[in-house]
Amino acid sequence: MAYSEIENVTGYVGSFTVTVRKKARYVDVGECTACGDCEDVCPVTSPDEFEIGLSTRKAIYQPFPQAVPSAYVLNIDECLGNNPIACGKCLEACDKECINYDDEDELIDFEVGTIIVCVGMDVYDPTALDEFGYTRYENVITSMEFERLINSGGPTEGHLVKLTDGTQPKTVAFIQCVGSRDESRGNPYCSNFCCMNTVKDCLLIKDHYPDIDIKVFYIDIRAFGKGFEDLFQRSKDAGTVYIRGIPGEIEEDPDTGGLRLYVENTTDGGVERHDVDMVVLSIGAIPRRDSDVIQRLLTLQRSQDGFFLEAHPKLKPVDAATQGVFFAGCAESPKDIKDSVTQASAAVARANRLMMQGKVSVEAITSTVIPELCKSCGLCVKVCPYHAISCDTKAKAPAVVVEAACSGCGACSAECPFGAIVMKHFTDGQIEAQIDALLEHDAHDKVLAFACNWCSYSGGDLAGTNRFQYPANVRLIRTMCSGRVDKKFVLRAFAMGAPIVLVSGCHFTDCHYINAVRWTQRRVEKLWDELEKKGIRPERLQLEWISAAEGQRFATVMRAVEDLRRKVTAKEIEHTRKVLADVLAPVEV
Amino acid sequence: MAEQAEFKCLRCGAEFLLPYTPGVTEERTCPSCSSNSVRRKKDK
Repeated sequence: MAYSEIENVTGYVGSFTVTVRKKARYVDVGECTACGDCEDVCPVTSPDEFEIGLSTRKAIYQPFPQAVPSAYVLNIDECLGNNPIACGKCLEACDKECINYDDEDELIDFEVGTIIVCVGMDVYDPTALDEFGYTRYENVITSMEFERLINSGGPTEGHLVKLTDGTQPKTVAFIQCVGSRDESRGNPYCSNFCCMNTVKDCLLIKDHYPDIDIKVFYIDIRAFGKGFEDLFQRSKDAGTVYIRGIPGEIEEDPDTGGLRLYVENTTDGGVERHDVDMVVLSIGAIPRRDSDVIQRLLTLQRSQDGFFLEAHPKLKPVDAATQGVFFAGCAESPKDIKDSVTQASAAVARANRLMMQGKVSVEAITSTVIPELCKSCGLCVKVCPYHAISCDTKAKAPAVVVEAACSGCGACSAECPFGAIVMKHFTDGQIEAQIDALLEHDAHDKVLAFACNWCSYSGGDLAGTNRFQYPANVRLIRTMCSGRVDKKFVLRAFAMGAPIVLVSGCHFTDCHYINAVRWTQRRVEKLWDELEKKGIRPERLQLEWISAAEGQRFATVMRAVEDLRRKVTAKEIEHTRKVLADVLAPVEV
Repeated sequence: MAEQAEFKCLRCGAEFLLPYTPGVTEERTCPSCSSNSVRRKKDK
């Protein structure tokens, strides 16, 4: 569906309902033959978004020549026909009578089983990098603008011209990594495709205009893909000069529009001056500016750079943490066409595999609600990272868990103040029985640690296989997620005489359950306050994030908590036992 | 620029300033001992 936006997504894997807003085009797509008569008579002129403002369009226009469907669209905000002083010229010019000013947006619901997120990317705006003079100097353009200039369907029909006077430049400079690999004024990551895009552009220029001199200023050229090094060599052989160093300043000659670049050539340390006619800023990719909307609708995670985060970088590189959702293209990270196609094929295959089965196998470890105990407070709905729980708080109806959407983190069970949610295979009774068993004898000598299955517990495994030494008196209780660690487990451990309790989980960006780990932190922060109020040192409850790869850190943390344990006095433990005596209740398994 | 608040490490006792936005939960690390047992000091 073209010219449409996702309005809402509800449901879960195998049963999503997607509401799409089909925007009003004010032109009947079925009747429009894209003859262009309406465009010819339209008196309104606006910058053409597709040409990045390098040319203009009318208020009624085709977004771009290859647009599908091949039909016109009317921008009603710009159209005079919608104003009190009516224009209506397009209406008169259209023989097919396919223009309708009263057209309205349409909301359409689709039932789908899986969703592939391929929303693409935006590009970095280099205006802030004042030294390059973008927007101050007309002959400084971005690589995106260059693409339109050199394109045969572009505003100059593929003729490379200076924007100041429309003449052909004699010297063109490319500046790489603009807005990329720069933590202070851009983005810290490499945008992946800019180097090879520049190499391709250089070959294009040399192919069409062999006399144009090209200089490429770079930090390092990343030609890592199949055939890329060969292409790089070809551009060098064609005469492109590569200079290692990024210009610190660009000056313009106001009379000629010529540009002077000052650069430190880092191969010999010398400061050089280069006079060129045109500068192309090789700008990097940034996440789409409206990524927040898709993130909210599909409960997705994003990495620190803002791109969508895959469920696992090696084993599930195209899967989202939300079941039934997959990624393709630059939505997940900046990538070139080949990688985008590869990832898209993988995403389709992953989605197809689910769809072909016709049924979804869910984890055995899911939550269920005991309706009799549920008070319909809605807390579980709030903490569920997967939106797998619904609860009509007004009608006071018990919460309902959609097991197909539940991934089994257990945050709901830990948060429920009424014990109304049972986490299968990790019930309160089972975990409390473990606490009791581990602290039954010589509790004062032990450190009780809750470790999440995916990271901290695996970090412990790694520490073991690598023979990293850590105290033998640490007792681990595995939960699927640190979000499962209920406040009452911690209090019970202290009531049983534990000198130190450690809650450990994944780093925030690694959380296997989207953001359940954040609830762990909030819960522990509240517990610190509660312990302090009860006269128990909050230092006795420790919180650590340990990834599966941090075996060394696991051992270090365990040694540190053992040091803390030694400082806990018998008097303190006894006092805690007395204060928390009412916490101990019979264990139900 | 993000607001800063005073935090205390519950492992080593170090006190330091970190960016803080009310209502936003962030991973925090003690600059002295790398512990995540970092507690915001509240005004008394």
